[in-house]
Amino acid sequence: MSAAAVAGENPLRRALRSGRVVVGGSILLILLFCAVAAPLIAPYDPNEQDLLNALKGPFWSDNAEPGFWLGTDNLGRDTLSRLIYGTRVALFVAVCAAVGTMLFGTMLALLAGYFGGVVDWIISRAVDLWMSFPPVVLSLILIVGFGVGIGNVILAIILVDWTRFCRVVRSEVLVIRRQNYVDAARLSGFSHLRTMVREVLPAAAPLIITLMSLEMGIAVIVEAILSFVGMSVEASIPAWGVMIADARNYMYQSAWGLVLPILAIVTTVLAFNLLGDGLRRTFDARLQQH
Amino acid sequence: MSGEILGIVLRRIAVAIPLMLLVSILVFIVLRLIPADPVAMSMPPNATNEDIEALRREMGLHLPVMHQYAIWLGHILEGDLGRSIAFGQPVFKLIGQSLPATIELAAFGALFATAIGLPGGILLFRLRGRPSEQAVDVGSTLMMSIPEFLWALFLILVFGVAFNLLPFAGRLPPDMTIPKVTGFLLLDCLLTGDFTAFLEAIRHMLLPALALALGTVPLIMRLLRSSLLDVIGEDYVTMARLRGVPERRVVNRHALRNALLPTLSLMGVQFGFLFGGTLLVEVIYSYPGLGNLMVEAVRNTDLPIIQGAALVFALAVLTINLAVDVVYIVVNPKLRRAR
Repeated sequence: MSAAAVAGENPLRRALRSGRVVVGGSILLILLFCAVAAPLIAPYDPNEQDLLNALKGPFWSDNAEPGFWLGTDNLGRDTLSRLIYGTRVALFVAVCAAVGTMLFGTMLALLAGYFGGVVDWIISRAVDLWMSFPPVVLSLILIVGFGVGIGNVILAIILVDWTRFCRVVRSEVLVIRRQNYVDAARLSGFSHLRTMVREVLPAAAPLIITLMSLEMGIAVIVEAILSFVGMSVEASIPAWGVMIADARNYMYQSAWGLVLPILAIVTTVLAFNLLGDGLRRTFDARLQQH
Repeated sequence: MSGEILGIVLRRIAVAIPLMLLVSILVFIVLRLIPADPVAMSMPPNATNEDIEALRREMGLHLPVMHQYAIWLGHILEGDLGRSIAFGQPVFKLIGQSLPATIELAAFGALFATAIGLPGGILLFRLRGRPSEQAVDVGSTLMMSIPEFLWALFLILVFGVAFNLLPFAGRLPPDMTIPKVTGFLLLDCLLTGDFTAFLEAIRHMLLPALALALGTVPLIMRLLRSSLLDVIGEDYVTMARLRGVPERRVVNRHALRNALLPTLSLMGVQFGFLFGGTLLVEVIYSYPGLGNLMVEAVRNTDLPIIQGAALVFALAVLTINLAVDVVYIVVNPKLRRAR
């Protein structure tokens, strides 16, 4: 199929032809279902303790206990139920943080790339400043400053990761800015704001959507890291990072307790990356020719 | 040429200094937001209001924020990062004790990442257009989805718990000690001529360094592949092919040399991130480095250590970026002449 024929097609349909998009999207739909329907499908309350049945293995292992499909943790809490409830924190943080990062980063990128000059200089120096911190270190000190809680975790991720959007979208905007139709819009009397939002932004949209998908994966990881060091959500909320931190102390008795939440995180991040990768390939003309 | 490079280095340092000042302001401001009260934390519970007020004055907390920052910065420039609330020792000393371990770990991580990533990238490139490309591609996407801290746990499960091949706690077996000469354990082992300890130290380093490397490898692989894809269409590559140079040699001698440049510059950024990755990996491997110190301080809200460690992390990233820039200029003659 020629590139021109592909380009004329409905982008959604084109994206759906990519195996990556379909697999990534399907996994995410399942996870979304788990998050929304958690109280209906989880067999137990995620915080319900059953100390007589602590550290049980999953159903295929030797020390399985009927009723606890994926085993239990050191307090006898049902691993499956905690995993299902854990999708709530993971996806909530992923979506909110990615949307926030996108809005903040893209706004600054538009300003920098569109106006250039001093505005660009200031924003680019701010990006340099931010990039001189390893992301994990910056998110940790932000959380120390703000205090724990899911809202603060999201805020910290936005304040750390806006640079990812800003850098990439800025260079895209620099290219779009030089297109004739942008000048044409200005000449026909569009205001700066209208030109930015109506003419420049749509051209950068494919890139932004791709970046958002990847950012959601990153947000899941950052939340898990913060949960792991005990600096994310309140203790009563089940999160995958917390499960990992708990299970780490008992890995000799029950390795599955550690493996399963790791798999949950990797699967989720993989789904976001597949989706992002697939979208990038759909939109990127250069890659299509290879 | 060396004078030219020195000039470039000095110019980069001149840019890094204001950046470092801004970093310190950022660290100071963020940690001023902290809900915990540093005065309350260092007072006994039966302290009177007068005692608290006296300590506030002693700590300079009654002064305006900018004034406090100026005092803090002045102390830092004198090498005084304050005293740890939890340990009661100077932060400078605590960081000095743990930093060599982190540098050693990060260096090994970067080494492994390069040793695995570059051949991996060439492999990825060679497989282009073959049926196996899809499989390798999905494999690299899968690897991209596993951050270093999950690799760290996974490697412990496989090599430590399941097969019991490698140690995964600390830098040496508990019954082994090495006199401290430089603080860099491997170097100290060699200096004291203790080769058993040297091998043990390497064994202890393998898993954490590999975990760090695996988080970076897929990025290096993809980067090198796309750089190779960019240069493979260039005229000089076509010319080499037309002269009948074998494909392997075309890739290794002609394309690779030029494709390595953009990869190298992005690897610098990645190694900065890799240095940050030591934080979690150290916690997981009970490795007594800067990251472990910082996470411990975060749990204790030990402000002076958090501030000091954050500054050192930023300084390390800036130094790594500077070093990579210099290497980049040294190996890229085009850039050198252009300046």
